Amino acid sequence: MKRVVITGLGAITPLGNSVEAFISGLERGDNASVYMPEWEKYKGLRCLVGAPARLENEMLIPRQNRRSMGRLSIFAVQAAQQALGDANLPASTAGSGRLGCVIGSTMGSAESIAEAFETLLPDNDLSKLTSTKFFQCVSHTAALNVGQFLGITGTVMATNAACASGLQAIGAGYDLIRTGQQDIMLCGGAEGLHPTVVGSFDVLFAASSRYNHSPKETPRPFDAARDGLVCGEGSGILVLEEYEAAKKRKARIYGEIIAYNSFGNGSHVSESSREAITSCINETLKRADLTAADIDYINAHATATIQGDKEEAAAIRQIFGEKVPVSSLKGNIGHTLGASGAIELIASLIMMEKNLIYPTLNLKDPDQDCRGINHVMARQEKKIDILLKNCFAFGGINASLICKKPA
Amino acid sequence: MASEQEIIKMVNEVFVESFEIDKAKLAPEANIFNDLGLDSLDIVDLVVALQKKFAVTIRDDERVRNIRTLGDLQQFILTIKKEIGK
Repeated sequence: MKRVVITGLGAITPLGNSVEAFISGLERGDNASVYMPEWEKYKGLRCLVGAPARLENEMLIPRQNRRSMGRLSIFAVQAAQQALGDANLPASTAGSGRLGCVIGSTMGSAESIAEAFETLLPDNDLSKLTSTKFFQCVSHTAALNVGQFLGITGTVMATNAACASGLQAIGAGYDLIRTGQQDIMLCGGAEGLHPTVVGSFDVLFAASSRYNHSPKETPRPFDAARDGLVCGEGSGILVLEEYEAAKKRKARIYGEIIAYNSFGNGSHVSESSREAITSCINETLKRADLTAADIDYINAHATATIQGDKEEAAAIRQIFGEKVPVSSLKGNIGHTLGASGAIELIASLIMMEKNLIYPTLNLKDPDQDCRGINHVMARQEKKIDILLKNCFAFGGINASLICKKPA
Repeated sequence: MASEQEIIKMVNEVFVESFEIDKAKLAPEANIFNDLGLDSLDIVDLVVALQKKFAVTIRDDERVRNIRTLGDLQQFILTIKKEIGK
């Protein structure tokens, strides 16, 4: 098998539209949660807090590319451009047939889907639909738009496993490179914030609703006063590259992916399972030929739901005890769903580079059932050589990935 | 009913609003594909936008197939509006 390294990063996040802006926001301990007055009109929506990203510079995308893009695809294209630039790869690489992209999202653009139905349903009239609405709504919209915009002639693929989509995309790209099918992969996830998306969590009592008038206090991963997640949006894209080629061209290497795994829980469509999470992480460690003691930092999925956080904490407790520092970035950027795995892996790689850990924002009092693990509650300097990233999704889909500092 | 000049102006507005085309390019002899840069997907959207703008149904009108220039289109819409007005 070939070795796979990460050589480029790009991010559109609720804390800013570049990796630098995102990391600066984490440095300051910012929380992107804000009250969303435009959601007040939805009956039954209890959560009125979101973590929006800023849509900007979209007119720089030529109209004939932009017309098939919803909000999330614009984020994905902008993050992909940043990542390619960061990797210092010429644009011509995209058409070599050796570069591909795998980009996931929970669904197609929620905003575009809502617009399509609002157009179609009042008169049941299909003739009012524009030709490109379909391309904004399909589940592979981010991948197809990045592929078309950059002129990618290698593999173009989408992973659609809700909140594990971004990490699954990186895992798929890792497999394509290590098996020699592709040399370079643009991988990650994208998501657009929309009340219908928030509503899908709200109906399950999984979205935060007690902090509508103090949005900076939510979400609260692992905290005793947590009451659910806050939806965010954006895109994270990473350039994955075959190690020897990256070394030869003297690319900046952020980290090497040494193991990835995604397992289903086979037990419940929405409830997290500590046994399944434990099994997923243990299999990832096994594939990396590592033990729990080798991990220096865990970037948790921890979205601040009552049920999910306690199950993840239980799995981490069972495997790592109190030895390995754990933090979640959801307190800063909310849950960017299909983008979260990629956006949070980007931050984790920067933490590894800087040998420091950003804390879990809003974690003041670890809940009784989230204790027994090493919560990072204040910025902490620590040598990180190997990190673990977790992502868990509705549908009982878990994913974990391990990255190593470049030698 | 809108005057001929008003209808031509409204047709041109569709090209500016829906396809971001510079007003200066909107000469009657401009070829919709070669000069204005529209493609097959844009033609679908052009029909949708014109139907909305003029409250007409032209999607299945055979005459749409013969339109090549902006002038052809302007004349087609004028004809359609006259037919409705009768």
